[in-house]
Amino acid sequence: MATLRLSALRKTYPNGFTALHGADLEIADGELIVVVGPSGCGKSTLLRMLAGLESISDGELVIDDRRVNELEPAQRDVAMVFQNYALYPHMSVADNMGYALKNRRVPKAERRRKVEETARLIGLEDLLDRRPKQLSGGQRQRVAMGRAIVREPRVFLFDEPLSNLDAKLRVQMRLEIRRLQKRLGVTAVYVTHDQVEAMTLADRLVVMNGGRIEQVGTPMHLYERPASRFVAGFIGSPAMNVLDARLEGDSLTLPCGTRLASPVPSPGEAKTVCLGIRPEHLSVVPEGDAIDGDLSVRVELVEPLGADTLVHARLEGQDDPVVARVDGIRAVAEGDSLALRPDAGRLHLFDPETGQRLDPLEPECQHSTFPA
Amino acid sequence: MATFRHHRVTPWLLLAPQLAVVAIFFFWPAAQAMLQAFYVEDPFGLGRTFVAFENFARVLASAEYYRALGITVTFSVAVALGAMALALLLAVLADRVIKGAGAYKTLLVWPYAVAPAVAGVLWGFMLDPELGLVSAGLGALGIDWNHRLNGGQAMVLVVMASIWKQMSYNFVFFLAGLQAIPRSLLEAAAIDGAGPWRRFWTITFPLLSPTAFFLLVMNSVYAFFETFGTIDATTAGGPGGATRTLVYKVFEDGFIGYDLGASAAQSVLLMGLVGLLTLLQFRYLERKVQY
Amino acid sequence: MRYRRPGLDIASHALLILALIAFCLPVWLAITAATHDQASLYTGTAPLWFGSEGLDNFRAVLTEPVGRLGTDVTRLLLNSTVMALGIALGKIAIAILAAYAIVFFRFPLRRLCFWLIFITLMLPVEVRIMPTYRVAADLGLLNSYVGLILPLIASATATFLFRQFYLTVPPELLEAARVDGAGPWRFLRDILLPLSTTNIAALFVIMFLYGWNQYLWPLLITTESDHMTIVVSLKRLLSSADNLVPWQTVMATALLAMLPPVAVIVLMQRYFVKGLVDAEK
Repeated sequence: MATLRLSALRKTYPNGFTALHGADLEIADGELIVVVGPSGCGKSTLLRMLAGLESISDGELVIDDRRVNELEPAQRDVAMVFQNYALYPHMSVADNMGYALKNRRVPKAERRRKVEETARLIGLEDLLDRRPKQLSGGQRQRVAMGRAIVREPRVFLFDEPLSNLDAKLRVQMRLEIRRLQKRLGVTAVYVTHDQVEAMTLADRLVVMNGGRIEQVGTPMHLYERPASRFVAGFIGSPAMNVLDARLEGDSLTLPCGTRLASPVPSPGEAKTVCLGIRPEHLSVVPEGDAIDGDLSVRVELVEPLGADTLVHARLEGQDDPVVARVDGIRAVAEGDSLALRPDAGRLHLFDPETGQRLDPLEPECQHSTFPA
Repeated sequence: MATFRHHRVTPWLLLAPQLAVVAIFFFWPAAQAMLQAFYVEDPFGLGRTFVAFENFARVLASAEYYRALGITVTFSVAVALGAMALALLLAVLADRVIKGAGAYKTLLVWPYAVAPAVAGVLWGFMLDPELGLVSAGLGALGIDWNHRLNGGQAMVLVVMASIWKQMSYNFVFFLAGLQAIPRSLLEAAAIDGAGPWRRFWTITFPLLSPTAFFLLVMNSVYAFFETFGTIDATTAGGPGGATRTLVYKVFEDGFIGYDLGASAAQSVLLMGLVGLLTLLQFRYLERKVQY
Repeated sequence: MRYRRPGLDIASHALLILALIAFCLPVWLAITAATHDQASLYTGTAPLWFGSEGLDNFRAVLTEPVGRLGTDVTRLLLNSTVMALGIALGKIAIAILAAYAIVFFRFPLRRLCFWLIFITLMLPVEVRIMPTYRVAADLGLLNSYVGLILPLIASATATFLFRQFYLTVPPELLEAARVDGAGPWRFLRDILLPLSTTNIAALFVIMFLYGWNQYLWPLLITTESDHMTIVVSLKRLLSSADNLVPWQTVMATALLAMLPPVAVIVLMQRYFVKGLVDAEK
């Protein structure tokens, strides 16, 4: 169990490419941090730097008040679960799990006891003599987990561990990882590109983009107050609608002429902004009942998903269609004209150039709500 | 590629044996050969004189050298084409019959294990002018066989023995290549109306061509160098130099004639030739060899 | 999809069997010749069937000095075995280490080492035979096992094949091992070598055959019969006779020279084929 501190952590490759531009992060003991972002955003590099598999170009990595920049992976006392599991193909499940202990010269009897204990914990007791080749994907995933758990490391590192499993197993393993991590109380860093996985697992989320950390916070905080257009688009599905608008005083004007009350009053002169509205914060209103501030649209496509329905509609003056998520199956047809009513309390404004949120984040929300 | 960092001495320890052997028994002799090619040495090794390109000039001016070159080319082409054509035919047959392909492979693969010199001795016996069974058969057909006197027959002998040994190597590759061709391709061709003969030339053969090219290079290298044993054990380059290949000539000039300069010059020329062959091979391997 | 064409199938089998017979004929004749005495061999053409002297011929070459060689074939077999095993095991050992360094380490001059080693693939020993002979002579390696073995280890075929194999090992295995606390030597011993066993077996077959079947190098480096190999001795046997070639002795020796490599290839055929096909990659 451990706390981690990353200060201005930087990775530049010999060819000059910078994969990570100075990451700052504090991780509390027992916390599960999920790092999420599109491929190439630097999240895997960050994880591998924590593991000691990539050297640290600049900055400092501290585990439990000790600088570990120069330590070999094994000396950092971290365990890692790899995307393809990286099980040793010629070793039995028991030997795979016990290899790290063997390298630490743990006596054989104790090794055996620990491996068996862990196997019981994750339901592998009957498979200890099998080779990885004889196991299903889900079982291999369990062995990879077991190999990490048996060492009782200070930190768990997960590198997209569920991406090779089918959808049903992924959901099941996700719950299990969460349960095990909380039960063992081990600090964990989990990398994924799947935002649903990220939302459901994380105590706190780290959203990365282009080698930088965009925002850190609890899943709900990131959902409710995304710090940038990128985070807004990445968290939540379907993605947030972003409309061009003009902010003048305390009102927003869309190109189609619709006026809305702005959540953030503009102090100075009028300026162009990006207005973000999540699909679930738009409700369908019959055209006749439309009031000021409703968006008049023409329906282009209807996707009934069962529990709810996605309505893709064209709003005059916008390039991309607006998506609304409405309850149940509505009698909406393609070609219909109707009005979409935004939830006034859940509008987001972003600067069109920098992509940053216009209203300042409340400072307390930047930090973990998890007890430190 | 994941690698070990922070280990400065370990890689050198690991490389030391290989580098030592290569330096002493490869680079040092190769450099010596280069140097030697520019000197004339007296046969007792007491002194040597720098003669620049005289050795090369002498070699390249001698009719014997061009004769050996011609013999090498004839021999190599005959062995490579013979061994490959025969292997391809047998591989296609073995691939056809499904049942027994494995057994045929086992029964045909063992000549690869026979030393070239031993192969030469076995064929030399079969075609021995006095008591060889095959030479007697040829005699009955009116062919008077004596490879000790007839240069052309001597060439046929070493070619046959070399093909016999090399065929199995080619067979293994062709059979593996044939078995790797997806059945669906042939099925598609059949549905498109191609008969077996047409299927072979339009589908199978083009798909085998990388294998065939690889084998061509390997067979040439084999014919150039490894057949030294076959030639030495049967004809010793004779009669009258009719089977004296370039490699055999290097050996003769160096170890029997003690003309070290000429032998070295020929070695260098040969290195150039092999370099060319290898370059060809690497061009083919290019997509597979990444540094 | 195979069209069932019984006629073609039978023709295929017939051709294959014909080829098999043709391929076995030289060996068959060697076996029959080795079972006759010289007198009965020279009564006409070589016999197609066995004689009665087989056991005597083999016992004679194995236990008594043969011709002018001044030694028995048992000794020659021993020499060949030492040489073939030395070359096979030596090559594999240094290749495993060298390829490991090149693939799994980053160090200055790595690229140079790579090329220094792999350029040796270009020039077989036959091309640089004279100077190599000189080096061996200067080092006092004539007529010694070391002289037979070491110069032939200097090619990088095995190193190249191991490198190719190592490149296919998933990088995560190395990372997992590092996280599990394995250093370079432990990774080599616990992970890489166990994964390489089939490759080692395949290379062993190929290198054993290569070593056993060497001709030119042992011919030069062994001037005395106590280090001569069996493959080289055949030429001496053929030329040592005063007038008539003692074919029964030559053939018995030739068969003994074939036996070990053929046994290796037949017993380890699976690895041999894999080794060959891997060598192409």
